[in-house]
Amino acid sequence: MALHKLLRAAALTLVLLFFLFPIFWIVVMSFQTNEEILRLPPSLVFRPTLANYTALISGHLQTASGILDITFLHNLWNSILLSTCSVLLALVLGVPAAYAFARFRFRLGEDIAFTMLSFRFAPPLLVLLPLSLYFQDLGLNDTYIGLIWIYQLICLPLILWIVRGYFEDASPDIEYAYRIDGHSWWRAFTRIAIPLAGPGIAAAGLLSFIFAWNNFVFALILASADKQPVTVGALAFVTASGIQYGQIAAAIVLSILPTLALALYAQRWLVEGLSLGAVKG
Amino acid sequence: MTGLEISAIHARFGRHEVLRGVDLAVAPGETLVLFGPSGAGKTVLLRAIAGLEPGALGQVVIDGQDVSARGPEARNIGMAFQNFALYPHMSARDNIASPLVARGLPADEIATRVVEIAQLLRIGHVLSHPPRALSNGQKQRTALARALVGRPRVLLLDDPLRNVDAKLRYEMRLELPRLLRESQAATLYVTQDYREAMALGDRVAVLRAGRIEQCDASETVYDWPATAAVARLFGDPPVNLLACRPVADPAGLRAEAAGFRLVLDASAEAAGKACLLGLRPETLSLAAAGPDAARLEVIATTPLHERLVVLLRAGDGTEIVASLLGAAPAPGAHVHVAADAAAALLFDAASGARIPARRVMAGIAA
Amino acid sequence: MSLVLDHVSKVYGRGAIAVRAVQDMSLAMEAGEIVALLGSSGCGKTSTLRMIAGFESVTEGAITLAGRRIDALEPAGRGVAMAFEGYALYPPLTVAENIGFGLARRKGRGEVDRRVRAIAELLDIGDLLERRPSRLSGGQQQRASLARALAREADLYLLDEPMGQLEPQLRAILRGRVKALIKERHLTAVLVTHDQTEANAMADRIAVMEGGVLQQFASPDALRDHPENLFVATFIGEPPMNVLTVERCGDGVALGGAAAVAFAGLALPPGQRVVLGIRPHRLRLGEGALAGTIVSNQWLGDQAHVVIAFADQLLVAVSHHKVAVRVEEKIAFGFAPEDAHFFDAATGAALRHGGLGR
Repeated sequence: MALHKLLRAAALTLVLLFFLFPIFWIVVMSFQTNEEILRLPPSLVFRPTLANYTALISGHLQTASGILDITFLHNLWNSILLSTCSVLLALVLGVPAAYAFARFRFRLGEDIAFTMLSFRFAPPLLVLLPLSLYFQDLGLNDTYIGLIWIYQLICLPLILWIVRGYFEDASPDIEYAYRIDGHSWWRAFTRIAIPLAGPGIAAAGLLSFIFAWNNFVFALILASADKQPVTVGALAFVTASGIQYGQIAAAIVLSILPTLALALYAQRWLVEGLSLGAVKG
Repeated sequence: MTGLEISAIHARFGRHEVLRGVDLAVAPGETLVLFGPSGAGKTVLLRAIAGLEPGALGQVVIDGQDVSARGPEARNIGMAFQNFALYPHMSARDNIASPLVARGLPADEIATRVVEIAQLLRIGHVLSHPPRALSNGQKQRTALARALVGRPRVLLLDDPLRNVDAKLRYEMRLELPRLLRESQAATLYVTQDYREAMALGDRVAVLRAGRIEQCDASETVYDWPATAAVARLFGDPPVNLLACRPVADPAGLRAEAAGFRLVLDASAEAAGKACLLGLRPETLSLAAAGPDAARLEVIATTPLHERLVVLLRAGDGTEIVASLLGAAPAPGAHVHVAADAAAALLFDAASGARIPARRVMAGIAA
Repeated sequence: MSLVLDHVSKVYGRGAIAVRAVQDMSLAMEAGEIVALLGSSGCGKTSTLRMIAGFESVTEGAITLAGRRIDALEPAGRGVAMAFEGYALYPPLTVAENIGFGLARRKGRGEVDRRVRAIAELLDIGDLLERRPSRLSGGQQQRASLARALAREADLYLLDEPMGQLEPQLRAILRGRVKALIKERHLTAVLVTHDQTEANAMADRIAVMEGGVLQQFASPDALRDHPENLFVATFIGEPPMNVLTVERCGDGVALGGAAAVAFAGLALPPGQRVVLGIRPHRLRLGEGALAGTIVSNQWLGDQAHVVIAFADQLLVAVSHHKVAVRVEEKIAFGFAPEDAHFFDAATGAALRHGGLGR
């Protein structure tokens, strides 16, 4: 018995180390100067500095060949704007659609639902070239609206599939009972169906936010520097005079903070939402 | 014309016709039990009456008004579901108040009526609890309260006692008839338990494969089932159906099967046809040896509520179930069993229809 | 093979949140006996069965089967066959393969097929042998699961709610056939159910459980005629036993206001409150010293259930013949003294079965 527990503890420690070490290292790097980072052998003892963070926030980067302007904070703002708007739009479109898929039987229903999921399978690179041409023709290139529209490819399938599962699990009898009581179809949807699918909607929304936030390729091709989110903005640290590892690390830390905070705050809902009502009760 | 009237209700799911033309009428204050095996279409019929089956055809008339084109919210119906269908994110009080809130009644009137119905159903002390904190019996009473509070003209109860434990179920069987009568609504009550059907219903409509096979007072359905299928469904232990070919007899028809020999008061037109002799288990009794009694081997005895259900086997291997009062015969023993000819039933083997009594031929209904 | 449970307990969890699912349960079964564990959900019957099977560890106590202690053994080593409440059929195998699963090794092919076919015919699934479980109804799956358990050769058969999903029309016949099979082969079986009708029909003795505690372990007749407490008295029997409040009268009790019916000589200590139980089948209508009003008269095809309002209570009387009374009618009723059961109103313990009186 004791050996059993010892082995389990050892395995857990290994797994934790494996997953958390990179994050730990990046946080440490963000408080080091470039010279300390590149020193061999690497050491955990150093004098921490806030120079990387101040450079990011003030927008000026001191390099060997002069001062560079960084638009990191603007990129952060773009990320927040794009992710939030994409998720909101995806929820407005996706939740009623998920309800329709769950409650109504119509021809090709399953096929349509599967097609929407298949958007997640396809690599974005597949559609990017033709898409960028279309976007230019439509005048959507380098616009927030264009990006938000494209981000639906990321958010909508997730919301459809998770929320549909939730609606399917909720017994339709509850909505029937509400309508028999005398309430209209719309009230049954808003007062009964949506609250009961709440955890699923929250989980799907959170996951979509995280995926939208992490997206790189769409923003890289379809937007210019002005509209770029944080993922693309990190490229700016690869300068002519070398890679500014310290700033990259600080940028990474700042950019994972929002999503990490959200996930930690809502972790209970995330787990609940992802288990899709596996327990009958 | 008051109460509920439905005609020519059809419903189909894909290629499968679930309801094939159902007509029923229920008067205010009357309880019509909708009885049938699972898959017969009972729940679909209730949903069609409530307006929850968009694909259903036919006419639904409540208190003289044709509501077939209206949505469920406009039909003034109360409904109770098998799985209660309470709103999990609301308290019991809000659950019950829902129909009154939908109607826009003033808050104090809502509060009074909710408390009134809750006390009638003895759940006044749990009104502030959410459904998950209630026992099954309390959930079921809350669902009933919600159905009754709006004083609907039509009540649809879909097997509401199914998920309630046996003791509570029996209690509700005693309380429900009075409650339903006082509500003055036309009630349609679905169940698969024939005893519940007989206890609660003024009339019983037997639904089988999408059609009403018989709609009569419950005693009539039990004593004079329209078909062999109805006879088998309506009774526990189920009726014994034995193949026979009756011959004409001065007193009616003589039927022999599995060792039983009975003279039945049945129409002579069935003589020589392939028939099924229906013997209800409680009409069989231990008897002395004789030409009319069957000699059967006892396979097992299983007590059932003060009666003894005995599984017997005839010489030709036919299994017979008898429901006896008194001492148990030992397994393996051979006993003589007599059947009550007056209670015996005869059905046409091909169509399943019951062969009527002889007196029908003379113009007297039976 | 005889089964003995010796002061068996099961506790889930630790410390403040510990749940005592089974408390100090002792039971001795004879070989060839059918015993039912009966109770409502949460009473501990399923935990007890799972301990016997080996899917739960025993917190305290010992379980012995045929003289051998089994509570520390793996399920496979206990010589036990089980039919699960959730059927637990193997989805990729046909019904025939499911039923024959435990038999394949030791017997020849032909023998296995013969046994599978025989048990399938008995449970009326003989023509479903080539189907897969997903194409069976709930009742058919349940019969297949039961067939699988009964086809095996084991020292003990454990059946968890084996017939709850059966179509009502099949119940009477299948109960008879299964009981005959078990008795014919002298099998020892433990049956778990919440349905007292099923327990009464199948079992030689019934262990009534509630709240993890064994209430009484006796034959159905003994439970009906000599229940040890009010819980057993009202749990067994449909309709449930009528429980009447009575007034103390000397060292006995009386009911009916003007002491119409009195039971003297009960030797009850002063201050003890008593309730009187009388089974619905033992209430006699039309004759007796008590009077009530008819609330309903339901004829159920083979019996009549008559409900009488008496002293703010509802009493149920059952008769095997039609009763010619109408609602609102006044009726006299009574019962034989030997059919009265007396219980302590506070603890529920049975005081006496059958009183002397007039």
